[in-house]
Amino acid sequence: MSAFDLIAGVLLVASALAAVTLKNAVHAGLALVGNFLVLAMVYFALEAQFLGWIQIIVYAGAVMVLFLFVIMLLYDAKADVGVDRLRWMRPVGAALAAVFFLALAYAFSGVGPVNPLADVKLAGGLPGPLGKLLYGLWLYIVLLIAVLLFVATVSAVVLVQPQTRKARVKPQVSERDRELEEVGK
Amino acid sequence: MTYLITALKGLVLILMLLFAFAYLTWAMRRVLARFQIRLGPNRVGPLGLLQPIADAVKAIFKEDISVSKADKFVYWLAPVISFTFALAAFAVIPLGPEGSLFGLDPWVADLNLGVLYIFAVAELAVYGIFLSGWASGSKYSLLGGLRSAAGLVGYELALGIALLGPVLLVGSLSLRDIVEWQGEHGWLILWQFPAFVVYLIAALAEMGRTPFDFVEAEQELVGGFSTEYNSMKFVAFYMAELLHWITAAALIPTLFLGGWHAPFGLPDIPILWLFIKWAVFVFLVMWIWASWFRTRYDVMIRFAWGVLFPVALAWFLATAYWVASKGGAV
Repeated sequence: MSAFDLIAGVLLVASALAAVTLKNAVHAGLALVGNFLVLAMVYFALEAQFLGWIQIIVYAGAVMVLFLFVIMLLYDAKADVGVDRLRWMRPVGAALAAVFFLALAYAFSGVGPVNPLADVKLAGGLPGPLGKLLYGLWLYIVLLIAVLLFVATVSAVVLVQPQTRKARVKPQVSERDRELEEVGK
Repeated sequence: MTYLITALKGLVLILMLLFAFAYLTWAMRRVLARFQIRLGPNRVGPLGLLQPIADAVKAIFKEDISVSKADKFVYWLAPVISFTFALAAFAVIPLGPEGSLFGLDPWVADLNLGVLYIFAVAELAVYGIFLSGWASGSKYSLLGGLRSAAGLVGYELALGIALLGPVLLVGSLSLRDIVEWQGEHGWLILWQFPAFVVYLIAALAEMGRTPFDFVEAEQELVGGFSTEYNSMKFVAFYMAELLHWITAAALIPTLFLGGWHAPFGLPDIPILWLFIKWAVFVFLVMWIWASWFRTRYDVMIRFAWGVLFPVALAWFLATAYWVASKGGAV
């Protein structure tokens, strides 16, 4: 274990803990951004350059900006989560986490010594070799994930559709109609 | 030794960028004044050339007030984020061919994935504006921050997809490769004109300039995200904003106008030609600023998703089809 592994591990666990324990939703979101950035650094250290940059652009950039956007839009300016409403969930969550850790430990117990990094790395993690694998060997899996994401997007759009589709009325026009009605009364 | 040289080059680049920022504030005010038949700052020093120094002294000695409703930590963090990532983006732009800067390479970092680096830095810079809007504890700031987040996600998408065409054609994500390809095959603006137009418009939104300066639309939002900031914290935001402008004005020629290559077969002089192209784009932004209106916010968002995004996507698919039918990058 190198110094980098140790520091990255401590930072990852600390930022993940901060993300779930901080009372303020925006602070928690920021801790999650920090977590994603450290994860990107780990990818860089594994010479997975492309994955690292995509982690920053997609997760730390786009996804978390939208996430924080929703938090800021829904909560008031302090974004304090306040009293925990689902207190009974805590022991359940702890038990599930324990089961998950045991399962992980069991899964990794069968694995021998981990391959040295030099054997695993993929031509510097550049998009070329990665693309050849994704769109060659694992094309069906990529297509399945694409279909899944597409279905999720379409269903999100369908779910927020109003029941009946009315022609869009300009706000000025609807305001004028309302005023005319008031005058008529 | 290489680390030391890179660090020194980085330091020199930062100093150059800060100098460019200081004199851009002066040039901007002078040029905008000419457009509006005024004089602009001309009292401090000859032609007003010492004005940036006077402004800096004033900003430093101003009392640093913070808002009682503000979230202290994030309120302080936001300008730091803005400023840091605004400075970082310039590092991968090549100013000339290898070894042309007194035997050194005229760039700070030569990344294989330079285009991705620029996007990562640009996306993280959004956090500065966005968080300052929330942390100020003011409604105007929050509205400015929300506008910036919603707007920039839309324009970032158009920006990214517009760049896919050139990247497919060149077959590399490194800015150096893109510039060298243009030296051999001709400028990318000739190959990829629609991508250039989309990129230029989206870049205007990205740097928050007219017609898309909705983030701090002063008639609607007082000062937008920076309403509650003053003295050096405000200067950090102001610097970040102008540094985005400076970087984008160097990035557009690098991507589409041959970078440091000379136009019309003139002799290649490293740094000089890129500087001239940079100056042209800096002026173009001022010109648009002085002569155009600000679009309404909803119109702007609809334009990003309804026009720029489909155009960029269609052009990308056309390029992809063409490249695939030729059997690989040019």
